[in-house]
Amino acid sequence: MSEASWRLWSSQIWAILRLELRKTLLARRGLWIYLLAFAPALIFAGHSIIQMKTGRTCDIGDDTHVYAGVFQLFFIRLSIFFGCVGIFMNLFRGEVLDKSLHYYFLAPVKREVLVVGKFLSGLLASMAIFGTSTVLSFFALYWHFDSNVRQEYFYHGHGLEHLAVYLGVTLLACIGYGGVFLAAGVLFRNPLYPTVIVLVWEAISGFVPETLQHFSVIFYLKSLCPVAVPASVLMGNGGKGSPFALLAVNPTPAAAATAVLGLLILFTALVVFTGRQVRRMEIDYGTD
Amino acid sequence: MSENGSALGIVFEDVSKFYGDVLGVNRVNLSIPPGITSLVGPNGSGKTTLMNLITGLVRPTRGRISVLGIAPDQPEELFRVLGYCTQFDSFPRGMTGYQFVDSFLRLFGYPRPHARDLAEQAIERVGLADSAGRKIAGYSKGMRQRIKLAQAICHNPSVLVLDEPLNGLDPLIRAETIALFRSLAGEGRHLLISSHVLHEVDVISDQVVLLTSGYVVAEGKIHSVRDEIQEHPMQILIRCNNPAELASQVFQRDCAAVEARIHNDGMGLLVKTRDADRFYLMLNHIAQNGINIESVAPADDDVLSVYEYLVGTGESTK
Amino acid sequence: MAVRKRSYRGYSGDLTPMWSRFLIVTRYAFKTVFSSKFLTAFFVCCFFYPLGCAVAIYLNQNLRVLALLNIPAMFDVDGRFFFHFLNVQLVLAFVITALVGPGLVSSDLANNALPLYLCRPFSHAHYVFGKMMVLVTLLSLITWIPGLILFLIQASLAGVGWLTANLWMAGAIFLSSGVQILVLCLLSLALSAWIKRKLAAGAALLGVFFFGAGLGQAINASLSTRSGSLLNIGELMASVEITLFRVYSETPVPSDMAWLALLTVCVFCLLLLERKVRAYEVVKG
Repeated sequence: MSEASWRLWSSQIWAILRLELRKTLLARRGLWIYLLAFAPALIFAGHSIIQMKTGRTCDIGDDTHVYAGVFQLFFIRLSIFFGCVGIFMNLFRGEVLDKSLHYYFLAPVKREVLVVGKFLSGLLASMAIFGTSTVLSFFALYWHFDSNVRQEYFYHGHGLEHLAVYLGVTLLACIGYGGVFLAAGVLFRNPLYPTVIVLVWEAISGFVPETLQHFSVIFYLKSLCPVAVPASVLMGNGGKGSPFALLAVNPTPAAAATAVLGLLILFTALVVFTGRQVRRMEIDYGTD
Repeated sequence: MSENGSALGIVFEDVSKFYGDVLGVNRVNLSIPPGITSLVGPNGSGKTTLMNLITGLVRPTRGRISVLGIAPDQPEELFRVLGYCTQFDSFPRGMTGYQFVDSFLRLFGYPRPHARDLAEQAIERVGLADSAGRKIAGYSKGMRQRIKLAQAICHNPSVLVLDEPLNGLDPLIRAETIALFRSLAGEGRHLLISSHVLHEVDVISDQVVLLTSGYVVAEGKIHSVRDEIQEHPMQILIRCNNPAELASQVFQRDCAAVEARIHNDGMGLLVKTRDADRFYLMLNHIAQNGINIESVAPADDDVLSVYEYLVGTGESTK
Repeated sequence: MAVRKRSYRGYSGDLTPMWSRFLIVTRYAFKTVFSSKFLTAFFVCCFFYPLGCAVAIYLNQNLRVLALLNIPAMFDVDGRFFFHFLNVQLVLAFVITALVGPGLVSSDLANNALPLYLCRPFSHAHYVFGKMMVLVTLLSLITWIPGLILFLIQASLAGVGWLTANLWMAGAIFLSSGVQILVLCLLSLALSAWIKRKLAAGAALLGVFFFGAGLGQAINASLSTRSGSLLNIGELMASVEITLFRVYSETPVPSDMAWLALLTVCVFCLLLLERKVRAYEVVKG
């Protein structure tokens, strides 16, 4: 590949990014993704406000566990999951439904470059939204603590380290789910089926044989989270057990390097597969 | 691209396309030269399929296609020399006319100033300079059609494929757009236009391709195509002061006429003949015998008549 | 200008009653729904459980069978029985809603069909009601109708005494199903109208239930409260059902709050429908 080719591809990818980010980040119809993403930040901000108003003292360890529980059980499994459904499925399936995909196919762009450009745009958008939410919700949760306690936790404790890991997990979640839903958007006419299948699979992946667990995004992400979710966090309803408790089970966590590598391999395979499918894709808008 | 790519034009070699059991086009062998070529045919005849095959939006079930020597499965090369104005009346959401043209120009890898200049030129050429800053969703149908055209021509392609480009345009804009097509064709480009408006096809086209039910039934210049339709005698309208006397003379002199009919207005004679050249020769002699002939012209040497003979009822409505 | 003789006369015969016009929309929507073999097969499968329950009720009252097994009764046909029956059927109802509901309005919006409907003497209300009747009919056929049939079977076998003592259960079956059907219908229609894409509307319906449940749990865990459950439509409907069937002493959400929250959801959906079901779309900019 000549340098001229690389330069051309990079300028084309940049053009695709500009086109797509305008549609994803700045469109009103993407508002629901922002609501999904920033819900935890709002919840934790509410928590801090209530604590400050009532003057109650919290244990920073308990709040850390609460954050871990909300992050693993709600933020990754629901916010990022559905957010990635909306962002990545839209990249191709949405264009087909809008009958605008042919404009990309009529440009002098290799289809593989188109897939990479669209994936990167989805990743940038999702990372910007969910990464910001991760940071905001993290600080919102600890906001009500005394500044000495906060500083001790962030700079001398594991605070910033945990935040960095959570950001990394958010990025990997966007990469993993992004790859899955990018491929699903190209393969399936009806995104409901892959959404339900993946949702159910992710829910039961903790209970299937270990080999099969490697085909689940959440398996790697759970393994990377810095704080395990204790059962007490899930006893929200006056001590009654919650079905969400089952989702927190992680009997055989993967090593960090394995988890990161596994996700990257999964995503690479999916993007290559999607590139192949798009190369052979025909424009057939048909009827809904 | 081969050295003689320009000379090759758009070439179809035994191309067929099936959508499952439904025939799109079958065994199409075509070579489209520079100039304006019109694709004519009824709805469902395969015009859009043919255009989509040229541009790689669909792949042929069988056969090969090349555009200036480039195969449609090489979009990175093909769309530098080809522009396609599709029939789809849909656009990426939330874009203005200018953004629509400019954004897709940036996909070519052009730097921003160059893309901007090209976009502005193309928008100017289709007469949308005043509305370029407005959202496409607020455009009228004619404006949407023109912005699609701008997007197709903005990168100065050698080949333009235009699927019903005059749809929704008012008469003034139609005339301007036709002038634009003529100007583009005059620069040596290949223009492939599909249209249902046959009198316009007559006016603008250098050659036609007639399609019906997925088959190419005729291709070439209108006159050549008409000449080859042997089963329908040529119709010739002769304007004169005494059509009845002329009719009598025509049959007396054995002018190879098979039918003669006085025109509805009584001031002309419509003759059908299988040998136009012999008829014209005889007509010369008849004219010297006192009948005042004002004009002689073929009555069915146009796209509409050819269309009706080959695709429609089989009778010219003239 | 010449005066031309008017040979055209408008239709002067009888018209169908105005109130029944919405059924036209329903009839054609049913045609589309049942063109899907998968959906038709699934709908048929929804009757297997009621059929099984009917057989079970019959066997439960069959003295000879009970004597053979040497037991007084296999199970009690009480509020708990019908509560569990409806729970199963309402899960199936949710699946049918997810499959049918999203396409009802979104297809018309996406294909600009609303002007065609609304330019006739046919109001928004007729249109929405007609579309809603599709879901109401389908869901009723698998929820309260078989529920009431089971109730009647049990009553006919157990006698008038049982019937008079448990008549409230019939009301509970009807009301509980009615509320949940109404919420499901309005929610799916509103999402279908708001999101022009049928497939995205289906995913949104899933998202509303799952995300709402998750968000509710997250709020409960973070704020040490139970108010988060107000966002969990599943728990709201369960609370209403538990109260009507008198099965448990405690509900996930207080009953009055659950009713109010469900009413709020219905009103919100109606407002969305009112805003979106229009014959025109204004584009700004």
